[in-house]
Amino acid sequence: MFSTSDTIVAIATPAGRGGLGVVRLSGPDALRIACALVGRDTPFTPRYATFATIGGGDQVVVTAFASPQSYTGEDVAEVSAHGSPVVLAEILRRAVGAGSRLAEPGEFTLRAFLNGKLDLIQAEAVADLIEAVTPLQARAAFDQLEGTLTRAIGAIERDLFDVMARLEASLDFPDEGYHFLGAQEARASIGMAIERIDALLARAARGRLVREGAQVAIVGAPNVGKSSLFNTLLNANRAIVTAVPGTTRDVLTERADIGGLALLLIDTAGIRETSDEVEREGVHRARETVGVADLVLQVLDRSRPLGPEDRDLLGLTVARRRLVVWNKSDLADNRGAGAPEGIEISVRTGAGVGALVEAVSDALGSTEARRDAPTVTNVRHTILLGRARESLSHAASALDEGVSEEFPLVDLQDASHALQEITGRRTPDDLLRHIFEKFCIGK
Amino acid sequence: MISKLDVIVVGSGHAGVEAAWAAARLGCSVGLCTLSRETVAHMPCNPAVGGTAKGHMVREIDALGGLMGRAIDATGIQFKLLNRSRGPAVWSPRAQADKPRYGKWVRAVLEGEPNIHWIIGRAGRILLDAGRVSGLALEDGSVYRCRALVVTTGTFLNGLVHVGQEQRPAGRADEPPSRDLAESIKALGMRWGRLKTGTPPRLAKGSIDFEDGVKRGVFHVEHGDADPVPFSFTATGAPANQIACHLLHTTERVHELVRGSIDQSPLFNGQIAGIGPRYCPSLEDKVMRFPDRERHQLFLEPEGLDVEEIYVNGFSMSLPAETQRQLVHALPGLESARMIRPGYAVEYDFVQPTELKSSLETHRVGGLYFAGQINGTSGYEEAAGQGLLAGINASQAVNGRNSVVLGRNQAYLGIMVDDLVTKGCLEPYRMFTSRAEYRLLLRTDNADLRLTRIGRDIGLVDDSRWERFEQRRIRLETNLDRLRRGWVRLEDGARVPAAQALRRPELTLEGLIASGDVVMETAESDRLLDLTSAQTTVKYEGYLLRQEQAVARAQGAERRTIPQQFPFERVPGLSREMIQRFSEARPETLGQAQRIPGVTPAAVAVVGAYLDRL
Repeated sequence: MFSTSDTIVAIATPAGRGGLGVVRLSGPDALRIACALVGRDTPFTPRYATFATIGGGDQVVVTAFASPQSYTGEDVAEVSAHGSPVVLAEILRRAVGAGSRLAEPGEFTLRAFLNGKLDLIQAEAVADLIEAVTPLQARAAFDQLEGTLTRAIGAIERDLFDVMARLEASLDFPDEGYHFLGAQEARASIGMAIERIDALLARAARGRLVREGAQVAIVGAPNVGKSSLFNTLLNANRAIVTAVPGTTRDVLTERADIGGLALLLIDTAGIRETSDEVEREGVHRARETVGVADLVLQVLDRSRPLGPEDRDLLGLTVARRRLVVWNKSDLADNRGAGAPEGIEISVRTGAGVGALVEAVSDALGSTEARRDAPTVTNVRHTILLGRARESLSHAASALDEGVSEEFPLVDLQDASHALQEITGRRTPDDLLRHIFEKFCIGK
Repeated sequence: MISKLDVIVVGSGHAGVEAAWAAARLGCSVGLCTLSRETVAHMPCNPAVGGTAKGHMVREIDALGGLMGRAIDATGIQFKLLNRSRGPAVWSPRAQADKPRYGKWVRAVLEGEPNIHWIIGRAGRILLDAGRVSGLALEDGSVYRCRALVVTTGTFLNGLVHVGQEQRPAGRADEPPSRDLAESIKALGMRWGRLKTGTPPRLAKGSIDFEDGVKRGVFHVEHGDADPVPFSFTATGAPANQIACHLLHTTERVHELVRGSIDQSPLFNGQIAGIGPRYCPSLEDKVMRFPDRERHQLFLEPEGLDVEEIYVNGFSMSLPAETQRQLVHALPGLESARMIRPGYAVEYDFVQPTELKSSLETHRVGGLYFAGQINGTSGYEEAAGQGLLAGINASQAVNGRNSVVLGRNQAYLGIMVDDLVTKGCLEPYRMFTSRAEYRLLLRTDNADLRLTRIGRDIGLVDDSRWERFEQRRIRLETNLDRLRRGWVRLEDGARVPAAQALRRPELTLEGLIASGDVVMETAESDRLLDLTSAQTTVKYEGYLLRQEQAVARAQGAERRTIPQQFPFERVPGLSREMIQRFSEARPETLGQAQRIPGVTPAAVAVVGAYLDRL
C-alpha cells in the first residue's frame, strides 16, 4: 500500500512537449518543499507566480495553491521550468531529496478524487492505478520489450533472490545435509550485484537511459497497413512492408516528431493465431505493448468487414486510450453495419493523414499521464537502485564481519524490496517455493 | 455430568489439549470431547517436538502459560538446540519425545484440572441457535449445551488412508474418520479444501543391530547436546539425553525400486487428489523429483524408552506394504529389520482458514472456533499454538472480554494466524523463520518478554511463573544498565565502554565476565537466558533498532481497523475482482488488507481513504 497523505511529486506536462515543463507537488509538505527547492525562507503567496532559480541557476516560476483550492484539494506547488527532460529530472530528484515521493501514475487524479474534486468517471487514470498489481508493473512490462534497464535490473534481482533463498534455507534447514551457500560465496555474489548496479547508475548518470516521448503503438490484424502507416508517420522505410501477412515479426520502435510532439512510435506484429514460434513471440509482444502504450492506434481495413481478429483486438484496446484508424479509404467501403467510428485515411494516397496527426496530438496533449514518462522511469529507477546499493553494501560489511545469515538478510531484504518495486513483488511463499524447487528438503 | 458447559473442545490432539487447558485455567467449565483417553496428545507422525521456528512457537506457547513446553521437558529423551553456531534469533530447541509418556503426562495434567469434564464419544453435529453455537450432539444422540465450541479434529474430517491401491476411510492409522461432523460443518456454508500428508513405516527396535550398522559405517550415531537446554521458562534444571538416533542414507538400489513400482504409488497414479506438503516430501517425491540426488538422509528415531517402534524419519511413503518391506530391507544396515506397520498417506478435508477471524472464531458462526490441522496447518507445534489461542479466545468471549490477537511483530503465533486468515492455504502450512519479517525480534530468549505479561493479564500465567519472570526481567534491566554504563579494558590495554566492546564481533559477554571487568546478575537455572538476553540486546542493538523502526512504520496500517461488515462493494473504483478478494478474506485491519494475495497497493489505499470517511 502507498500512503494517500504524504507529499508526492511528478512532471505534470506530457513528455517531449517542447517549451515549458511543469513539476507538480501535492500534499502537506508541498509548499515547504517548493521553498526548499529554490532556497527561499518565506512562504509563497498562494495563486501568485513567483520567479526563482534552482541549483545551478535554472530559471523557474513557482505557483502555490493552498488547500482546498487546488487541483487535488491538498496544498499544491507547481514549478514551471524549461521543458528539457534533463532539467525536469533534476527538479524531481531534488524534490525527492527534500522529502517528497515520486507519484504513481494517476496518483494526483486519485487524490483529487479522494478529496471530492472529481468523480470517478472523470478519473480514468485512477482505474489503471487501482488495477496495477505493483505500481511499476506496467512500466516494467514495456521496458522489457525494449530489453533495457528493467531487464538488467530484473537479472540482478533474480540473482539476489537466489542468494537470499539459499541463506534463508541455511537458517530454516540446518540439519538437511545440504551446503546451501557459504559466507564467501554470498559475499562474492553481493559484490557482483553491487558492481552491476554501479554500472547501471553510471549509464543513467550519463543520460543514456533517458528516452523521450510518449509511446504510441500501432496495432491491428495482419495486412491492414500498420507498417505502411508507421513508415508514413516516420517518412522513412524503417519497417519491411510486403503483402505477405505476418511480415513484421517483432516490435519496431522509432522516434518521431508528430504535430510538434516528440514521441516513440511502435510498429507491432499483426495479431493473429499462428503456429510460427518467432511470430507468436511477436504477437505476444504486440499484446503486451497494447497494455502499456500511452496511445494505441488500432488500424482496421475499410475495404472488408471486421474479422474475428479485429474484434478480438478491439476488445483488448477498448480500455486503453486509443484511436480507431480506418485505412484504405481509397478503396470501396465494405465495413458493413456495426463498425466502430474512426478516422478514415489512405496511407497510399495520403488522404486523412493530417487529421490523424492532429488527433494523436490532441489525445496526448491532455490529462495526467497514465504511466511514467521515460524521464521519470529513469529518476525512479535511479533512486531505487541507489537504495538497493546502499543496503547491499551494508550486507556485504555484515558478511565481512563474520556474523551469521540472519543479519545480512535484513539488508538483503531491503535491497530486494527496492528492486522488486521495479520488477514486481515477491512473497515469503515465493521464496519457500524457490527453495523447495531447488533442494530436496524435508523428512 | 453437567448439562451446560462454557466451552466444548472437540478433539484431544495437540490443539485440543491446549484449548481445553487454557479455557479451564481461565475459569470456564470445559467439556473435552474425545474418542478415547488413550490417545490424548497422541503423536501419529514423527516422535519430536520443536525445530526451526517450531521451537520458537513452543517457547511462545510456554510463555503464555500453555502446556507443550513443560510436556516435552518432562518426557523428552534427547535435546538439541539447532543453529547454535548462528545468532540467537535462530536458535531453535528440538527434542525427541517419548510418545506414550508425552501423552500420559498431558492426560494427567488435564485429569487433574477440575474444570475439565471428559466427554468420551464421537462428535456428530454442531447445534446452533440464532446463528450462534448452542451445543454439540454426539453421534450416539446425546446433547451437550455450550456457549463456545472449539473444533480441533486434525485429519479426521473425511479422512482417507492410502497404502498402495488399498484405501480405507480413517482419520489416523486404524481410527475411523468423522463423517457426520464434516457434514455438519459443511452445512454451515464454509469453503473447503482437501490436503494430504504421510508417515513412514515403523520398524522393530529388536530387529536392528545398531552397533553392527555403526561398525559397518552405514549408521552414524546422532547424540543430543552436551549441555541440553529445556523448552519451558519454568524448567529448573537441564533435561537429560537418554537415547541416540542413527543417521543412514538411501542408495541407488532403493531409488531403483521406487522407480520400478511408482505406478503403484497413489501419489503418482492419480489415486490421491489432496495436496501434500513440499517441505515433507514422500520418498516417491524425493526420488522422482530429484533424480540427480544420489542419496537422501534418513534417521532412525526411537518412539520412546519402552517402545519397540522405530520411526524412519525421511522415509514416508504410500507404496504397497510389500514394496515398503522390500525398500526397508534394501537399506544398508536394515537388511533383516522387521517392519511393524507400513507407512501411509492420509487425505483429509480442511476448512479454508480465510473463514476465520484473527481470534480463530469463524466469521459465519458466533462462538465456533477452529484450531489445528482442520485449518490447513501441519505440525504438532502449529496445532498447539492455534489450540491455545482458540481456547483463550473462546474463554475471553464467554467471560465478555476482548480477544487476544498477537501481532506479526509479537510472536510466530501471530504470524501463523495472520497468514492463515488473510491468505488461506493452498498446501499444508508449516512455520519457517523466513516467514517472519521481524525475525531478529522474535527470539526464543525473549518469548517471555514478549508474551508473559499478556498471559498474566488474561489469567493464564500462575503466580510462580510470574514471580520468576519478574525477577528475570529485573535482572535483565540491571544487566543492561551495567553494560551501558560500564567500562572494560581490552587486550591492547585500551579502556572502552562495555557496550562498545561487546559489539565487536570477536568479543562475547562470557569473555568480558571472565576478564573480570563485567559482573552480571544471573539466576542459577536461568544463566543462559540471562546472558543471552543481555548480550543480544546490546551486541545487536543497531539491527534490533532497525527492525523496531520497521515495526513502527507498519503500525499505522496495522492499527487501522476495518469494521466487521465493511461494505467493500461500495468503495468506488474497486474492480469486481478486488471486491471479491477483500470480501472473502474479510480483513480486520488495513495491514491485513494489504497482505491479501492479488490485492493491489492502490486498492488498499482507496479502502483506507474510504475508511477515513466512514
